[in-house]
Order: sequence, then structure tokens, then C-alpha cells
Amino acid sequence: MILTGFLKTVQLTFFGLIMGLILGILLAIGDLYGGKIISTIIKFYVEFFRGSPIIIQLFIFYFSVPIMLNIRLGSTIVGFIVFALNSAAYQKGYIKGAMESVYKDQMTAALSLGLSKVQAIMYVVLPQAMRIMIPGWSNEFSSLGKSTAAILIIGERDLTAIGRTIAFRTFRFLETYAFIALIYFIFISIVLKILDIIYEKIKIPTIEISA
Amino acid sequence: MGKQYQIIVDVYEKIFRGIPELVLILFIYFGVGLGLGFPPFKHAFTAATFALGLRSGAHQSQIFRGAIRGIGEEQMMAARSLGLSRLQAIFRVMVPQTFIIATPGLGSEYSLLVKDSSYAFIIGVPDIMFWTNRVIATPPLDPVFPYFAAAFLYILLTFPLATYLDMWGSRKKKQLGLQEGEG
Repeated sequence: MILTGFLKTVQLTFFGLIMGLILGILLAIGDLYGGKIISTIIKFYVEFFRGSPIIIQLFIFYFSVPIMLNIRLGSTIVGFIVFALNSAAYQKGYIKGAMESVYKDQMTAALSLGLSKVQAIMYVVLPQAMRIMIPGWSNEFSSLGKSTAAILIIGERDLTAIGRTIAFRTFRFLETYAFIALIYFIFISIVLKILDIIYEKIKIPTIEISA
Repeated sequence: MGKQYQIIVDVYEKIFRGIPELVLILFIYFGVGLGLGFPPFKHAFTAATFALGLRSGAHQSQIFRGAIRGIGEEQMMAARSLGLSRLQAIFRVMVPQTFIIATPGLGSEYSLLVKDSSYAFIIGVPDIMFWTNRVIATPPLDPVFPYFAAAFLYILLTFPLATYLDMWGSRKKKQLGLQEGEG
């Protein structure tokens, strides 16, 4: 039972992180190279997802959006959508910071070598940005992994929700929650350690990110 | 400080950064408060505040450490060579600068904390979320507007102050010629 909950949490975290990365890259490119209007829209998007609690976002996508659009959304789908959109808003900041720090000279150099702007972004700026944004990424991983716990309020059976059920069934609140906390702690610590090792291997020594 | 103290701080930070706020709140309220029967935490508000405070402490210790590192040893040595005692140097020279360098970090920690406070409604603290749900449960049962209104309220709570702190911090930094900490 705990294992299924744990897998759900892992699933939500990684799906959110990867979708958030893809969306975040698009947002960052839009913000850097798009016009003023796109920039403003992105700013509102980011402000909404960064400024409001994850609980409200879950409620909005679980209760409000289906009514406005007249569709049905399951709690797992809502979880995927919200964590991806939320994480995208945060990752956009890290990606933008990373891209800006490799941006100027490299972009000029790439353009002068005859690459188009899109090529320059794809082959020169982004790969380097990815490498130096890993510390930001591990921050985002740990905060996203922790926010997935909030999904129990829309009835999803993640690790915390299962822990709560067990706690109420056995009346052993202290032990159950301590155990759940320990699982989260180990999970997050291990992934952070792995990201750390990867970063040490592939970091670019001369470029430091200032975000 | 000594090595043991450093290890304690390190473990504290790691633990509270690796545990979801929600689990921490549930643990303190149900586990310590109701399970062990520790009287102060039987009160949902106290338990939630305490949990959020513990978590925030772990974050803020990092922010301040980064800020203090950003100031560097030279200031400390300069202050000492001018005849200030160690305590005086810390409180008159280091701490005031620390707060200025730490403002961006403190601003984002503040908005993080405001948002995390919404978890408290799960253990029944009557905060914005609690009343939003109460409004939604009363006729005309409109589940759209109240949530957006609540989201707007949270943004209103976080955005202006965080932005102001950011601006104030960078202005002060420019005035005093300080560089960015590694917060």
C-alpha cells in the first residue's frame, strides 16, 4: 500500500519535472526572444503559478476548470497538469537565468558562424544552459517533490494520503507520519545526491550562474 | 563554532528541506499533538505555526549563511583591527550587512511561507483556504470565482512585498557597494 503511494508520488514528481522542463524552456525562449506582448503574458502566467499556493491551483483545475470548459478531469490528470504547469513557471526562471549567462557572446559568435537564430538557441545556448542549471534544477526537484504531497486534498492516493489513511486506521499517528517523512527524505536526498554528482561531472568551470 | 554544532545544523537543514511541509504539519499536529498528547500542539494553529517555523528556519539559515559568506572575512578582520570585540563586530558590522544582502532570499522565503501556510487548512486552521471552501459550500455553490479570488488574495499578499524587498535590497546594495551573496 505504501509502495503504490510512493510510486504515485515518484510518478507525479518526475512527470511534473520533465513536462515542466519542456514547458519551461519554451517559456524562457518566449520571454527572451519573443516580443513584449508574449513577455507580458508569460509574466502573468509565472506570477499566477508562483504567487498562489499549490492547493488553490489543484482546486482550480479540479473544480473550476472542468465547469468552465465543460469537461471531466480525473484527480491524477489534474495532478499531472498542475505540477507540470507549476514547475514550468519555476523552471522558466532557472532556465532563463542559465540562458542569459551563456547568451550574449556565444549568440553573437554562433550567428557570425552562419547559424540561424533557432539553430543557435538549439545547438549552442540551450545545451550549455542545461548543464549550468542543474543546481537550480535540484532545488526545483526537492520543492516539487514536496508539493506533490498536497494532492491528497483532491483525493489522489499518493504517499501522504496513504500515510494518513494508515494513521487513522491504526491510531499510530506519530510512527506513521514519521515513517512517511522518512521515505520522502530518503527519496529526495538520493535524487539530490545523484544530481549533484552529475553536476560535478558536466559543469562548465568558467560559467557560474547568478540566480 | 565547533564541529558538533555544525553537524547538528547540517542535519537539521537537510531534514527539514527533505520533508514535505504537509507531512510535517500532519506529523506535528496528529503525531506529536494528538498522538503523544503534547498539549501545545493539540491546538491546530500552534502546531501549524510551529511546523512552518521549523521549515522556514532551515531555509533561512541557508540564506543567512550565504549572505555572511558574501560579506567575507575581510570585514570581520577590519572591524577587529579597529578595536571592536568579536561580539561588537558581529552585531555592529556583520549583521546589518547580512540583512541587506539577504533581502532577495528573504523575499522569496516570505512568499514561500505565505503559500505554504495554506496547508494549515487541512488540519482545520481557519485561513483563506478554509473560508474559500466554506463560501463554495454555501449556495449558489459557485466553484469558480472564490478560488480565483483566493488565488488573487495570495498573490496580493506575496507579490508586492517580495518585489519591494528585492528593489530595496538592490538599491541598498548599490549604495553600500556590496556584492551578491551566494544564497
